[in-house]
Amino acid sequence: MMFNSPPLIVTKELTKHYYRNDVCSTVLKQVSLTVFAGELVAIVGASGSGKSTLMAILGLLDSASSGQYCLNECTVTELNDDERAALRNQHLGFVFQQFNLLPRFSVRQNVALPLAYREMASDEIEERVHHVLVKVGMERYSDYSPLQLSGGQQQRVAIARALIASPQIILADEPTGALDSQTGTDIINLFLSLHAEGRTILMVTHDEHIASLCPRQIIMADGQIINEINSCA
Amino acid sequence: MRLKSHFQHAFINFTAAKLRALLAMLGILVGTAAVVALLSCGRLATDKALSEFKTMGTDLLAVMVYQAKQSDPNHPSHNRMTSEAWYQLPKQVPAIKKIAPYATVYQTLSYKGHRLDGAVIAADETLAQIIQIQMAQGFFVSFVESFEHFCVIGEKLAEQIRESTLDSPLGKQIQIGQNLYTIIGIAAHWQENAFFNEDINRAVITPIAGIELLSRENSINNAVISLYPEFPIDTTLDQIKAAIVKLAPEQLLFIRSAKQMIASMESQGRIFTLLLTVIGSISLLVGGIGIMNVMLVSVSERKKEIGIRKAVGATCRDIQRLFLAESILLSISGGILGVVLGELLTWIIAQFSDWPYTFYFMPPMAGFAVSAAAGIFFGYYPAKRAAHLDPIACLRSE
Repeated sequence: MMFNSPPLIVTKELTKHYYRNDVCSTVLKQVSLTVFAGELVAIVGASGSGKSTLMAILGLLDSASSGQYCLNECTVTELNDDERAALRNQHLGFVFQQFNLLPRFSVRQNVALPLAYREMASDEIEERVHHVLVKVGMERYSDYSPLQLSGGQQQRVAIARALIASPQIILADEPTGALDSQTGTDIINLFLSLHAEGRTILMVTHDEHIASLCPRQIIMADGQIINEINSCA
Repeated sequence: MRLKSHFQHAFINFTAAKLRALLAMLGILVGTAAVVALLSCGRLATDKALSEFKTMGTDLLAVMVYQAKQSDPNHPSHNRMTSEAWYQLPKQVPAIKKIAPYATVYQTLSYKGHRLDGAVIAADETLAQIIQIQMAQGFFVSFVESFEHFCVIGEKLAEQIRESTLDSPLGKQIQIGQNLYTIIGIAAHWQENAFFNEDINRAVITPIAGIELLSRENSINNAVISLYPEFPIDTTLDQIKAAIVKLAPEQLLFIRSAKQMIASMESQGRIFTLLLTVIGSISLLVGGIGIMNVMLVSVSERKKEIGIRKAVGATCRDIQRLFLAESILLSISGGILGVVLGELLTWIIAQFSDWPYTFYFMPPMAGFAVSAAAGIFFGYYPAKRAAHLDPIACLRSE
């Protein structure tokens, strides 16, 4: 881990309110967090604890109502939608609980999707797609439709899609939530191997066993970080 | 994202929902086909009408004189235009190149007891020269046969004789009223036109000098005139009017100029084209609304895809371009098929209407451009709506 280098993620007192029928509900309350390159962090909490909202804000898919967020030394709070999209493309890779692959596109096309939003030669895209599919063990299925794959295989394709643009951070929101235990274990092992390669991974989970495999655990409840366990410390 | 990639992704989505895409493009297809067919047919009809003048030229006048009030029976000659009076006109009006006075005589026609359907025209060979009557067989009536019972018949009349009697008409006698006339010539097919009111194909043409053999009145009420192009038409018309008033003071005049008729036809053609364009545009409007509807449904159904694309780095503009590319693809596909269908319809209509089919570039280009514009116009709102969807709400949608 490269704790000597500047942190990748720094949040200061992030707060998020939602308004419904003029009623304000606060789902994040002054969350301050620092993540360094190479960390594997599990964000754990019960349903409604605010962990997915925090993940959405960290992934630049949502904005905080107040507080400050710096991603790779860049203050993202003031950025517009297109600048945030460019940062997502360059620095972040997402893995979702429901895989979120495009059913009309092949495995290859799904994996290549982040690179479609960059100016890149098709030869290089093909090479990268092949490389990440080999990494997740899905190179034989490149021409398949996602609908022809099992849940575990689809999640591997989703991980390949998250890896293809070589992001600095991988954000995984309940990546084993839709999988059986054996397949879930395989996927977690894949994340562990990616972490061993030095990748920074933030993983939202409510599964304590999976969280226990991560060197750092942030425990949330009621929109706040209530505890932090760092087995590396 | 590159434009090519947008269209590649749009094509994948397009082919994934073929039936819906087909139904969406159907409106544009029908609209474009209507625009292309209506514009092409309008153009063909105008060209057909104008082509009638091409063989005759445009420096032509058709003059008709008619009685304003009951003439004085004691001085009938003052109220008539005789052939001699018509032949004096070129001496008074220098712009007149040739003049062909003619009269339509109302007499029954028959051949060996078979009633024939046609008109009798008393004229001379100048008429054949001006309105381009070609001979299929024999000769046209000329000055030499002025007082002979000779005549020329039109193509359709010759067919009537052949069908009813199996005879070859040339050299045979045809009965006009109480008189028998020998057929000395059969005219080739004559192109009807709006300038010369009689149908030569269904006419018997007798020598103008012998009109008194057929009609008690020897007045010649019509003439076609060919003009020298260098003279101004307005001055010429004034001179002709003045000359006829001098020759037959109690006659009223009606003069039609080929150029004026062409201008009128072209003006009518433009109005007709505008009207047809409006009708076609309404079809395209309906087609465009269909595309907008389908695109709005598509945006609503593909929220998850929008969320995924935004998550991997698509900007609002990327999403907008993707959906715009899809609507353009839909409308252009409909436009291409519409152009093909429109041209096919034009060809079929041309065959049925006896118009020579000509491929004009303007109607297909206009149809295609309007369909593409409809795709952009009607696809813009759904695309903009897709672009500004909240990525988190999209990812959470089912």
